[in-house]
Amino acid sequence: MHRISIIQGEHAVVGEPGTVITTLLGSCIAVCLQDSVTRIGGMNHFLLGEPGKDQRVNAHELQRYGLHAMELLINAMMKRGATRNGFRAHLYGGANIVAGLGSIGSSNAAFARRFLETEGIAIGHVDVGGTRARKVEFLPYEGKARSTAVADAPPIAVPVTPRGGELELF
Amino acid sequence: MPAASAIKVMVVDDQTSMRAMIRRTLQDLGFKDIRDKPTAPEALESVKSDRVHLIISDYNMPEMDGLQFLEAVRKDGVIGKTVFIMLTGSSDRELVQKAAALGVNNYLVKPFAPAALKEKIERVFGALA
Repeated sequence: MHRISIIQGEHAVVGEPGTVITTLLGSCIAVCLQDSVTRIGGMNHFLLGEPGKDQRVNAHELQRYGLHAMELLINAMMKRGATRNGFRAHLYGGANIVAGLGSIGSSNAAFARRFLETEGIAIGHVDVGGTRARKVEFLPYEGKARSTAVADAPPIAVPVTPRGGELELF
Repeated sequence: MPAASAIKVMVVDDQTSMRAMIRRTLQDLGFKDIRDKPTAPEALESVKSDRVHLIISDYNMPEMDGLQFLEAVRKDGVIGKTVFIMLTGSSDRELVQKAAALGVNNYLVKPFAPAALKEKIERVFGALA
């Protein structure tokens, strides 16, 4: 069995049998997505932005990071030949395990569920919330996913701003 | 100084959530006349029959991507000069150069802050009132 481990801000897409994608989650979310027609599937691992102590950032602002993470996964799958009509998702993470971070885990989970509902993507397994970290394993080709509680907390998630720098053409 | 409320906008993105987010951002900037479509062919048909001043389009879309959409707009004798801002997942040099060669007015890398969208629009239209 071939294993691919991802961390926050990453995603992986697989189109062949016998490969498992894994990640370790705290307050972050992992969406496991499979196109049941082509059997192409992938997983992402993301956190909505977290405002700094003195920053006032509204909920809409934070959601753009989640939207971007979902778009990257979906685009990567479609690039491999997946089609939206067959998408089915499993949803994991969103624990509230770090004191002082409030309910960021719940916000992440609520965002992910709302996104999938808005996009009309069928939702399969859901294991979100609570106070324990999770290990998630996903077999994209087979469409099987599972999460198990783990004692070790993952590294404290830090919002990632994926920017590649701009070209000065305009 | 153009009034944002006087600028008609077409937003094109295959993700419903992304269209909603861009629409909300434009509304916060004072835009009132905003329409959106999930695919480039639908948007093209719409802007041909009901012209807009500004098209904000994703690059990565099935069926017809942002570059093909831009090319189709620029080739049209009626809507060919419509301001076109492309949204990309990354600042891929080759993609941006292709878009520039096809006449894109500007581009924006996702995820973007509302201020960044405002700045890109103002670079084309001037400061928004």
